[in-house]
Amino acid sequence: MQPTLTVRNLTIEYATRRGKVQAIRNVSFDVKRGEALALIGESGSGKTTLGLGIVQLLPVMARITSGDILYRRQDKTGAPPLEIAALTLKGNSLRQFRWRECAMVFQGALNAFNPVLKIADHFRDTAKAHGALNGKSLEERGKHLLNLVRLDAERVWKSYPHELSGGMRQRVLIALALLLDPQLIILDEPTTALDILTQRNIMDVLQELRSKLDFSLIFISHDLSLAAELADRVATVYAGKIVELSDVQTIFKAPTHPYTIGLINAVPTLSGHKDDLTSIPGSPPDLVEMPSGCKFHPRCPLADEQCKTREPESEFAAADHQVTCWQWQKARGVLKSYA
Amino acid sequence: MTTVTRPTRFDLLTLWDRLKSNYLLQKIAQAIFVVWFVTSVTFFVVRAMPGNAVDILIQDLTLAGVSPEDARNQASLLIGLDVDKPLPEQYGTYLLNTLRGDLGQSYKSSGLKVSELIVQVLPWTLFSVGLSLMITFTLGIALGAIMAYNRDTWIDHLLSNLAATLDAVSPILIGLLAILLIGVTWKMIPISDMRGAMSPGMKPEFSWDFIADIFMHVRVLLLVYVLSTIGSWMLQMKSSTIATLGEDYVTVARARGLTDARILTAYVGRNATLPLFTRLAISIGFAVGGSVLLETLFTYRGVGFLLAKAILERDYPVMQGVFLITTTAVVFANLLVDFVYGWLDPRIRIAGGEQ
Ligand SMILES: Nc1ncnc2c1ncn2[C@@H]1O[C@H](COP(=O)(O)OP(=O)(O)OP(=O)(O)O)[C@@H](O)[C@H]1O
Ligand code: SF4
Ligand SMILES: [Mg+2]
Repeated sequence: MQPTLTVRNLTIEYATRRGKVQAIRNVSFDVKRGEALALIGESGSGKTTLGLGIVQLLPVMARITSGDILYRRQDKTGAPPLEIAALTLKGNSLRQFRWRECAMVFQGALNAFNPVLKIADHFRDTAKAHGALNGKSLEERGKHLLNLVRLDAERVWKSYPHELSGGMRQRVLIALALLLDPQLIILDEPTTALDILTQRNIMDVLQELRSKLDFSLIFISHDLSLAAELADRVATVYAGKIVELSDVQTIFKAPTHPYTIGLINAVPTLSGHKDDLTSIPGSPPDLVEMPSGCKFHPRCPLADEQCKTREPESEFAAADHQVTCWQWQKARGVLKSYA
Repeated sequence: MTTVTRPTRFDLLTLWDRLKSNYLLQKIAQAIFVVWFVTSVTFFVVRAMPGNAVDILIQDLTLAGVSPEDARNQASLLIGLDVDKPLPEQYGTYLLNTLRGDLGQSYKSSGLKVSELIVQVLPWTLFSVGLSLMITFTLGIALGAIMAYNRDTWIDHLLSNLAATLDAVSPILIGLLAILLIGVTWKMIPISDMRGAMSPGMKPEFSWDFIADIFMHVRVLLLVYVLSTIGSWMLQMKSSTIATLGEDYVTVARARGLTDARILTAYVGRNATLPLFTRLAISIGFAVGGSVLLETLFTYRGVGFLLAKAILERDYPVMQGVFLITTTAVVFANLLVDFVYGWLDPRIRIAGGEQ
């Protein structure tokens, strides 16, 4: 099976008042068929920009300056996949690509619904825009999906958005994302701004959906423990670059990038003492005045001359383990003793 | 079989509770209260305040040589109230008369009932003000949306500057300019053509001639109404549309692959116009107020014209009647707007007032 999504050398720039900033810098990765890939990183690292780039919903001041995005729809029979070069899409074909092939559930999507339309109308609009189901079959499918995300389908179907709580709305949006059977769903921080119990509930729903349905997932979060729960593979993003990418076990048990190690050390554990909690010193770089060399060097305990002058390229630490660091081979050994 | 009959309690308190929970009833009650309040205030100002209009009328009549006795009788006849009765009783009769549509008689055009005078002019004001509001509202919304969608292009700059200019110039100035340019300088329309609501000898009927005639008479006034109010509608629609375009649900609608047409109408348009409906209610009052100046300027025989004339002649019953009718019209127009708004915005519809 080929990957559902292949991103190669993607660079995305914003034109700001202070000049051009590269929010995504030469990023390459795959999302395999049926897997969940978590994108983890601090605020401002470029996670949302990456998601918006894939569905081409970047704001006007943003520009994709280079790269390719290839999406493949394939069924289980092994027939040749339908390939779509997402960045070449325009007009109607771009419109059809969105949501039918790749649905993006936005960060803080509490306002994701038109306040003057019922939930049913949102399902209807979406189906109609793609020439999909209508009438009774649409209602059946819509309610089925609402049940899947553990909502009282009969009631929610007829409700206006303001009659639902934030957690319910988030689940409705997830149900709506499933309507057209996309093979790729991007969830941008689906649980931020929700209380801890609602968050738990949504994570359970997502896990159940993953076991029942067949789609690939890009799960964006800054919460490592959520990623650990849901993801098959994890990518850590720093200053617009994926600095480490591997399967979830490797990332948590044997991380090799100093930034990933720092993130994992910063997660408080129930058993751990307060002294063990080491957070990463400093703050993410200013994208306008980016540091030279490795962008992490001002915060990295291992930074040396080479790190300050030359930016490392992505390397393979193992077959399915990419890392972008000059000193990945010794980072783990050295930093472990730090804690 | 036994039937159990329960005593039904339907006292004032439960009525009040029902009223409070029903948006529709609540609004109607509010409207009625406002009309009653204005009616009463008008009565007390015209009748009960020291140096009030009725006292002055009696004084004037006496000065003109009428005996005090006769003066009081004449005054009573004119205003339809017995001025020698105690005030509360007069107030009661006044309310009853008003309810029956009896607004007294004009001081000046003797023998003419105020209600008849108003019935003659009211349709023209409703027609001109209503039509101009409809035109400004739709045109303002369309142009505002065009400005927002073409933000920072030459279309936007052109329209924004135009709107800001129109918004800044006073209606009366626009009216004078219209008369000067259209009537005098360019001689597009003879000034005499603009006079009145219809040509002399024209019969109100449903025929092309009649419709063509009333439009011929109203066109310049209409143009002035539209020009003097459209600027602020355009600007407000523009900012409202820009705000709506930034809403999450619009971005999500794009992500859902909806067509541009559907997003423009049901997602952007419908939400962006909501705040404008609130303003529509306010501007109805303003339009009626503005009609006093503009109808006089164009000698368009509407309510505003009648009021200006009454003020000039100190014809109090007419003034009082016009106030009452325009207030009632504005209050009920507001009520209508409220209902349309409640129907358009489900958040109001259910909660009744607040979100
Ligand atoms: N509309 C914009 N205009 C200019 N710069 C932007 C814009 N949106 C994002 N950026 C820049 O791009 C960078 C990445 O932003 P992005 O929203 O992708 O980060 P993120 O990882 O999703 O952060 P968060 O966790 O806070 O959601 C930020 O540093 C920001 O400065
Ligand atoms: S390249 Fe150097 S500075 Fe960058 S993360 Fe690795 S060790 Fe730290
Ligand atoms: Mg984000």
